[in-house]
Amino acid sequence: MKSIFTLFLLISSVFAHPHTFIEVYPSIEVEKSKFSTIHFKWVLDEMTSTILIMELDSNANGKIDKKENDYIEKEYFSMFKPYSYYTYVKIDKKVVPFKPENFKATIENHRLCYSFDIYGNYGIKNTIFEFGDSDFYVAMVLKDEFVTIKGSSAKVSGVDNDFYYGYKLEFK
Amino acid sequence: MEFYAKFLQTLIQWQYQLNSFISTNIRSLNDENSLSTSFLILGIAFTYGLVHAIGPGHGKALVALYFTSNKSDYKKAFKMGYMIAIIHALSALIFTFGIFLILKTMFRKNFNEFSEMAMQISAVMIIGVGIYLIYEAFSGRKHKEKHLKKSSKSEVAVAFSAGIVPCPGVMTIVLFCVVLGQYTLGILSAIAMSIGMGLTISVAGILSIAFGRKTNGLLNKKAYILEMIGGFLVLSLGIILFIA
Repeated sequence: MKSIFTLFLLISSVFAHPHTFIEVYPSIEVEKSKFSTIHFKWVLDEMTSTILIMELDSNANGKIDKKENDYIEKEYFSMFKPYSYYTYVKIDKKVVPFKPENFKATIENHRLCYSFDIYGNYGIKNTIFEFGDSDFYVAMVLKDEFVTIKGSSAKVSGVDNDFYYGYKLEFK
Repeated sequence: MEFYAKFLQTLIQWQYQLNSFISTNIRSLNDENSLSTSFLILGIAFTYGLVHAIGPGHGKALVALYFTSNKSDYKKAFKMGYMIAIIHALSALIFTFGIFLILKTMFRKNFNEFSEMAMQISAVMIIGVGIYLIYEAFSGRKHKEKHLKKSSKSEVAVAFSAGIVPCPGVMTIVLFCVVLGQYTLGILSAIAMSIGMGLTISVAGILSIAFGRKTNGLLNKKAYILEMIGGFLVLSLGIILFIA
């Protein structure tokens, strides 16, 4: 019975599978064992970027202007809120809610990029950042070479979330 | 679940690399290298489709459940995989070009709405197929030969139910090509990707037939019970998809 239930959970929860790939570039600064800067930059895959840029760069000048930026934040980026922006701040294994600040969309080498900051007086001890989409529509990709850290060091590893795959960033 | 997670990670990594490879090559197309690069893109699109369909979805569960509950040969599973692939490709092309040509702007949002609508239609069709399978198993429990002939009708219904939901992966490639003005390559890439997916779906059907042959040996006289269970599973799948 459990296997049938698992099969159905699999089918219903991951009816979709990654169609969009987002590279995550974290830039993090640590001072006195606390985070002073938490900045994330997402770089969307070229195919998705091209399609979105056609719509979002409404004046087709090859860059995202202030008005376009506001529109993307309101109409597109905010859509990720129910999915916790595919980013989970975990302190002592508990998810801590956050609000992304300073959202900025840019176009770099035909790729659409979203950048944002997280403000939180978290200590690095027992804090983990996890990335992933539980609906499995988007695949978040994190590699060692994407990470920039000042004042500390961190380790990138995979996370088994049962029905989707994610990555985590742990501090030493 | 560790094995499943590793499996998912590998699939994601492959797709991530293939996706990036396709987009870079399509953008780099010019008159001098167009033929060789186009063939390379189509080859990669085929592989991308093959790997993409290994992940959950694309009607593999429906096909597997269908063939577990219906005695068939491998040829039929192969045919079914390709029927789904053709419908999948056509549906993706019609949806993409339709939305692109009619609505041009804001198509992303409409694309989501249409996609949801197609998913609902598909779920209702799957429910229909489930009910049909249960009815066939019930009414044909004493007339096996008659039952076998009748069940071939439902194959087209199964293929339609699974294939009508356009694959966003195929739609993305088509749209990407259309935006770059590569209309023909877009259509050919969709076909190449769908052929790859068809192969994977066929394998799912073939595996379930192989499984069915073993279990049918045990059940033999009571095979209709297995068919009924299959019908109920298909029906439940449709209901779950409809609610989701």
